[in-house]
Amino acid sequence: MGKGQPNITNKIRVLRFQAGEMTQAALAEKVGVTRQTIVAIEQGRYSPSLEVAFRIAAAFGAPLEEVFQWSPDQIGD
Amino acid sequence: MTYKEWNAAIMVTSGVLVSAWVAFDALFGVDGWRGSVAHVAADMLWAIGYVVAFNILATIVVTILVSIVQREELKDEKSDERDHAVAAKAMRNGYFVLSIGCVAILVLLAFGAAPVLAVYALFGASMLAGVVFAASQLVYYRIG
Repeated sequence: MGKGQPNITNKIRVLRFQAGEMTQAALAEKVGVTRQTIVAIEQGRYSPSLEVAFRIAAAFGAPLEEVFQWSPDQIGD
Repeated sequence: MTYKEWNAAIMVTSGVLVSAWVAFDALFGVDGWRGSVAHVAADMLWAIGYVVAFNILATIVVTILVSIVQREELKDEKSDERDHAVAAKAMRNGYFVLSIGCVAILVLLAFGAAPVLAVYALFGASMLAGVVFAASQLVYYRIG
């Protein structure tokens, strides 16, 4: 929910696949958000709060930077 | 569409329909905009009641119909941070419209417009703000 192109990308879809094809609903349940929010995050339409980002990373047992990537070169777009 | 999106769509629909009915009644009704301020204000209160009733009935009907079509119960989920963010941005848009409307009403009165027109304008601004709020929710849920 930001302006312009999001600077944050993520690998949630890949991680879900690697986690035994975890469904978006299952991930949403683990994180404590709605499935629609997981869909929006996965598609890059919404950048989650730091807490939700950590919760998602914890759900995969992965460090935050493995789930979310930030591209500084897009600043100011 | 989620339950919250359906709710927003119902709000847009009720706002547009009741506003159209009020406008039609004002222009072509028995008393219309030529009625007394008290009479028109009472009509506006009834119109607000119709909006509330429409929203309740439409929510029940839509919930039943969508549940039948999707073969899965359409129910509201606990709001999360994205819902709060969407609501906040939509509220900002609605508040902006309402503020402009209130200023416009004061300008109308300052220029000597009939108070009955101010009543219509107050109702119109409130309805428009509600429609903008709900439509903004729909847009923000779609685009992020």
